[in-house]
Amino acid sequence: MIFRTAWKNVWRNRVRSLVVITSVIVGVFAGVFSIALMNGLIAQRVNDALNEEISYIQITCKEFRINYDPKLIIDNPEETISTIKLTEGVTGISERILITGMANTAYKSTGVQIVGIDPDEEQKVLNLFSKIIPGTGDYFAGESESNLALIGEDLANELNIVRYSLDSAVLLSLKGKGLPDQVIDKLVRLKGKRFTNEKQFIKEMDDLFAGAESKKYGPVIRKEAWSFRRGTKFILTFIDKDNNQVGAAFRVTGLYDISNSVFEKSTVFVKSSDLEMLTGLSKSSFHEIVVKTDQPDQAESIANTLAVKLPDLEVLSWKKLQPELAMMTDMVQQFYLIFGMIILAALAFGIVNTMLMVVLERTRELGMLTAIGMNKKKVFSMIMLESVFLSLTGGIAGMIISIIVIRITANTGINLSQYAEGFNALGYSALVYPKITAGFFGITTVLIIITGVISSIYPAMKALKLNPVEAIRAE
Amino acid sequence: MKGSAFFPVLIILTGMNNMITSGQSLTASNIVKIADEKFNGEKSSISVMSMTIIRPSWQRTVEFKNWSLGNKYALTLITAPAKDRDQTFLKRETEMWSWNPAISRLIKLPPSMMSQGWMGSDYTNDDLLRESSVVNDYTHEVIGEESIENRLCYKIKMIAREDAAVVWGKQIRWIDKKDFLILRAELYDQEGFLVRTEIGSDIKIMDGRTIPGRIELLPEEEPENKTVLYIQEIKFNVTIDESFFSQQNMKNIR
Amino acid sequence: MKNHKIAWRNLWRNKRRTLITAASVFFAVFFALLMRSLQLGSYDHMFRNVIESYTGYIQIQNEEFKDDPTVDNTFEFTSEIRQILLKDKNVTELIPRFESFALASSGALTKGVLVMGIEPGKEALLSNINERLVSYRLSVKVIDSLKRSNLPEEVKSRLTLFKDESYSSESILQMDLGINDKEAPGIMPVIKRIASFSNGYISPGKEEALIGDRLAKYLKLNIGDTLVMIGQGYHGTTAASKFRIAGIVRLPTPDIDNKIVYLPVDICQSFYNAPGMLTSVALSIKENSDNKIKRMIASLDKEVPPPLRLLDWREMNELLMNQMDADNKSGGIMVGILYMVIAFGIFGTVLMMTIERRREFGVLIALGMQKSKLAIIVSFEMFYIGFLGILSGIIVAAPSIIVGQYNPIRLSGQYAKIYESYGMEPVMPFMPINYYFLWQSVIVAVIIGIAIIYPVRKIYKMKLVNALKA
Repeated sequence: MIFRTAWKNVWRNRVRSLVVITSVIVGVFAGVFSIALMNGLIAQRVNDALNEEISYIQITCKEFRINYDPKLIIDNPEETISTIKLTEGVTGISERILITGMANTAYKSTGVQIVGIDPDEEQKVLNLFSKIIPGTGDYFAGESESNLALIGEDLANELNIVRYSLDSAVLLSLKGKGLPDQVIDKLVRLKGKRFTNEKQFIKEMDDLFAGAESKKYGPVIRKEAWSFRRGTKFILTFIDKDNNQVGAAFRVTGLYDISNSVFEKSTVFVKSSDLEMLTGLSKSSFHEIVVKTDQPDQAESIANTLAVKLPDLEVLSWKKLQPELAMMTDMVQQFYLIFGMIILAALAFGIVNTMLMVVLERTRELGMLTAIGMNKKKVFSMIMLESVFLSLTGGIAGMIISIIVIRITANTGINLSQYAEGFNALGYSALVYPKITAGFFGITTVLIIITGVISSIYPAMKALKLNPVEAIRAE
Repeated sequence: MKGSAFFPVLIILTGMNNMITSGQSLTASNIVKIADEKFNGEKSSISVMSMTIIRPSWQRTVEFKNWSLGNKYALTLITAPAKDRDQTFLKRETEMWSWNPAISRLIKLPPSMMSQGWMGSDYTNDDLLRESSVVNDYTHEVIGEESIENRLCYKIKMIAREDAAVVWGKQIRWIDKKDFLILRAELYDQEGFLVRTEIGSDIKIMDGRTIPGRIELLPEEEPENKTVLYIQEIKFNVTIDESFFSQQNMKNIR
Repeated sequence: MKNHKIAWRNLWRNKRRTLITAASVFFAVFFALLMRSLQLGSYDHMFRNVIESYTGYIQIQNEEFKDDPTVDNTFEFTSEIRQILLKDKNVTELIPRFESFALASSGALTKGVLVMGIEPGKEALLSNINERLVSYRLSVKVIDSLKRSNLPEEVKSRLTLFKDESYSSESILQMDLGINDKEAPGIMPVIKRIASFSNGYISPGKEEALIGDRLAKYLKLNIGDTLVMIGQGYHGTTAASKFRIAGIVRLPTPDIDNKIVYLPVDICQSFYNAPGMLTSVALSIKENSDNKIKRMIASLDKEVPPPLRLLDWREMNELLMNQMDADNKSGGIMVGILYMVIAFGIFGTVLMMTIERRREFGVLIALGMQKSKLAIIVSFEMFYIGFLGILSGIIVAAPSIIVGQYNPIRLSGQYAKIYESYGMEPVMPFMPINYYFLWQSVIVAVIIGIAIIYPVRKIYKMKLVNALKA
């Protein structure tokens, strides 16, 4: 009975109620959406790290990680792999050989981590094949070719095997992109000049252009002028199983480009079969097995299961490998909880305001109700219910709108490219896919109800304190 | 000049003309082979050399004595300047060791340590340790004849084989017709752009052989940089045993 | 009577309404200030920590050094340069540094290391190196002895988890062993005494080094042992020397801790055969506001001879800058959202107030008051309410923030550990009162200004007949 009365009371002053409800809708939507946005950003960072660099679970010999000693290969690899395959939640397995070595070209040499993989298996775990810059290679296509290597664009740059050149075609396309003529004219001076890495090119550009011009046109020019010759050759040197130094020519089968430049500069992927031949390691000698699970959250528990099944090996989930990543997710969630609370508090005050006005306006009516014997508790509950209805109506409407908007943007993604520079440097991509969990909505609903309840306490108490006699006489 | 038998890179050539000219047809590959075998084929040597490193704002000269056996073993003792004196370097196959008397410590040098050039020079890790074969890793073609310092030379173009583990895509060598000395070499990257030029000059006779007394290394991208090697004394075919090239000897040699 | 006086009186005629409306403004300002203060405080805390623990705010370097940090790109720190720098009154100290790479060797192990030549006395002004000296170590012997003591069982059981861990900070040791603040005074002194690690420091002229804890463990070295290093010195000479290990530090970032070696700067210079040369000199300054720094750099840059140049902390910490930028933007968005919510609250209140007073307005206009006069009076009323709200918001927020500065929100548990592992105090500090106070007030004032439009419009569009009937 009180429910119905309370509900009707809410709608007696339609405008006022609608105003409050609208502000609740706005608040809820704003809060939920921004949290979804943040979640999306972080989830993406985590996903990128997992799918491009460290994967979900890494398994090695117990002492391998101390010094990466190439002699520590995994015993019984076939058995180990089938044990892993049979574990629930595992969606991809890749066995790898890990060797440190040097990459050499006519210009430079630098230390690298060489990873021997089976390209097909590896695709199921890391998605670097999808990060290959178009036109630089085909990811080990053509199985007959040997000594192919997948390297990072930053490594190619470091080894001076990328090219920047401003030939007629490039200049024409830059013109087509709308670069002003005086800029193009300046660039003509560099026509025919050949640059083998980014630093050289930027240096020349900085000499030609003023700061502002450089900033504005620099990235576009760099992008157009950049090129890479498919199948460029370079030499990898490393130690074979007898501690002899071995060198072999490799051809680049693609340049991958991810946000983590340290990884990109130092990690070279080659076929396990090639490495086995060159190092003299027997077939099926692996140093590391990486595992992909269905969801990042499952990795921890699956890792634990595997650790029990494989007691002689060290099984580490990504959270243990990069605790900072894990912390980031947790910390951000906490921050946003606080943010949400603040929004709810702000809304609460709005509701308090309104309910106060409600109570004070209806002094006469409330006085009357009390006079005719309505129980104080009922009066209190009625006020409280009105408040809860207001907040709940707004809250639910707000959540529905949020769900719709999130669904839409989750498919298309939101482009934050104006803020791209800052984000990219951090390893976030500029395209964000907001996401939110069902549990989150549950919590939000509960919080909204609580807000409604708390907001009503003061006004309701005011209502109770009304002296019925004075109230009836009041205006 | 590449794949040195000595440490550091060094050109020692013998003048065993007779052996060469009898019964061998001079194809491009043979010419290169002969020139190459002049130093790689040499059994052993002891030499005194100095290396001057020239940079835009400074210059430095290092003097050293060098013992070598084939192209697998070499021991180098630094004799000047004072700061670096008595340091020794040992090369055994593809490993390099360093002994520093100031700290009395023997250290195995990891390849990454040498990505900067030996003693600050333009000689790289690749030059010193990589064992590539000029004969097997390239295809050869005589493309002309030119005169350098009044010596008529074969001009030979060498293209690296597809699978050869060499960083150079191409080399052009000017090999003197009379003594098979490499008087000039141009090293190109995979796309055919010049990266480094090496010039041999100051031809003289030492221990009965004709050799260039001075070798210059000129990096193309830094025109103001240069490394010059001078051979002051050299003796060939001395008796040295493999056991000479030991860590123990690194400490004792003077 | 003057409009504003009428407006003021009107406010107090209907106290309840005035107070309620002012209250919504008050809460808006209060929350906005609090949130902004927390945000700005946190960023400030984070970046100051990084800057102050490594690069400092301003450095002078050879202009080639930033792109090519080799020993050959050092500069000679002459007294002439020293005088030029000290002439600026904002400079309190000059802190020299020589940073490069080398190979450290111990037995059969070699490892690439980062060598930092520092002035042992002055370096503390720049980075907090003395706070990083290891004070406690849970070696096997220490753990045994602690296990035999009368510590609580839970603490004892945690000891083995941290076998061989070194600590420069008592609070992390306490946290690791799961000891809460209440128990600490009773338990910690015993632990500290037994686990105490006698450490040392380096001094100019002595061939001694401080090394990172993880590096020490890798090379299996302890205090008193010898560290051998070789590297490439100035102009390609060989750098080679032995150093006695005088002390061990524990840096928060594992990646640096496992390769850091500190030497006295003069020893470092002679190691690299570069006497009198430095890679950088950091300026310790009194006032470190952005403007001051910009001006200092502009004027000093002109006076120092080439090839030297001055860099500010932004240039030296580009990655951090990007991070802060992104963070700041998202923080701004958060506050923006808060404002949206608040704006709606204020609009709502104003809306309702307008509707309630329709009759009142109608009567006034019917009695002859000009619409413009009424509009002005109502606007004044709103502004007064806004002003009251903003003022009260500031008055209540300010002390909370000041109190918060001395008692910042302390993080606990995992987060605290991670903050500390990065060398930061695990707090969320408030930003002291600053320009942002002004900004928040301005924004609220603007919101109110916009809110006024509704009543003013309504006044102008009012049809007397309808109004009087309300």
